[in-house]
Amino acid sequence: MLQTPIALIIIVITVIIYLGMVTLYRKFPIPFLLPVLTSTIFIIAILKSFDLSYDFYMTGGHWLHSLLGPAVVSLAYPLFHQRKTIIKHALPILAGVLTGLISGMFTLFLLAEIMSIPRDILLSMIPKSITTPVAMQVANDIGGNPTLTVAFVMIAGISGAIMAPSLLKWFRIRSSLGTGIALGSSSHAIGTSKAFEYGEFTFSISSVSMTLSAIIGPIFGFLISKLLL
Amino acid sequence: MNLVKGIFQLGILYVFFLLGNLLQEILYIPLPGSIIGLLLLLAAMFSNILPVHWIQQGAGFLLAILPLLLVPATVGIMNYPSLFSGKGLLIFLIVMTSTAATIIITAKTSHYLENAKLKREEKKMCSKHLSH
Repeated sequence: MLQTPIALIIIVITVIIYLGMVTLYRKFPIPFLLPVLTSTIFIIAILKSFDLSYDFYMTGGHWLHSLLGPAVVSLAYPLFHQRKTIIKHALPILAGVLTGLISGMFTLFLLAEIMSIPRDILLSMIPKSITTPVAMQVANDIGGNPTLTVAFVMIAGISGAIMAPSLLKWFRIRSSLGTGIALGSSSHAIGTSKAFEYGEFTFSISSVSMTLSAIIGPIFGFLISKLLL
Repeated sequence: MNLVKGIFQLGILYVFFLLGNLLQEILYIPLPGSIIGLLLLLAAMFSNILPVHWIQQGAGFLLAILPLLLVPATVGIMNYPSLFSGKGLLIFLIVMTSTAATIIITAKTSHYLENAKLKREEKKMCSKHLSH
């Protein structure tokens, strides 16, 4: 069987590229060099230049992918660890996360209606502000396209991390709490890694908001998809 | 991290993931199995059924390599080249605009609530001072 060595090679190459991109991002921490983005572009470029398909890549890729489920389960740990911070700021966090989910899905719906975007694409866009593994599952459950959803989640994450500092400045929001909640509930893990630059408090608030969005988001996605269908 | 211990911890997390999937299938819960697993794990830690140090390092490891675990899924974008031209760019713009709106609305709301709370606390302090 040739499959196992090929799968192994794919995994090893993916890990090496990822580690290289992490090193690059540490040297030049600009949003456009986010490791997820650069690794993805790098791997797609390799596959394209050797005329290899995505299905071929996934013979190895699915092993890494299968760890996503347990990784989402792992989010329970920071949530438990930060329970005191969460309880102390429970009201603004919960209200912020709910506002984030509602405003995100509402503006999407509005813009998609104006531009007459097909329904299946709209359904794939709805989970865009939720962390990827959950967003994919939500897309799957509500009748969207999970792979398209990954693209939208990436756009929401990276554009959010790039736009947030200017937006917060223009709208005169200097609160660490507000910054953390906005980053975590609009741009999930990528926003949360951006929040790290604002200090530990903002970082922890952002990861809590991201986790809460991942828990409450599927319920909202489910309700909205029921309303649409 | 000790390898055996690490694999054991990852095993526990995997069991919670499988349990979540199982519950979703049996009870038809409209939540992803992984999120049900997350909630189960949270409940297990809060009720002291599962000591936190049993999963602490395994969870820390998985969260540290989370971006790597996302890569196989994001590479799937290669099957949708149309997203990067014509109408696809419009969709790009919609997602960005919605994200910007979300950031502003969310930050404003939580900022307002935080200030309201601070003002209430200040008032309490002031009235305390006056009554003394």
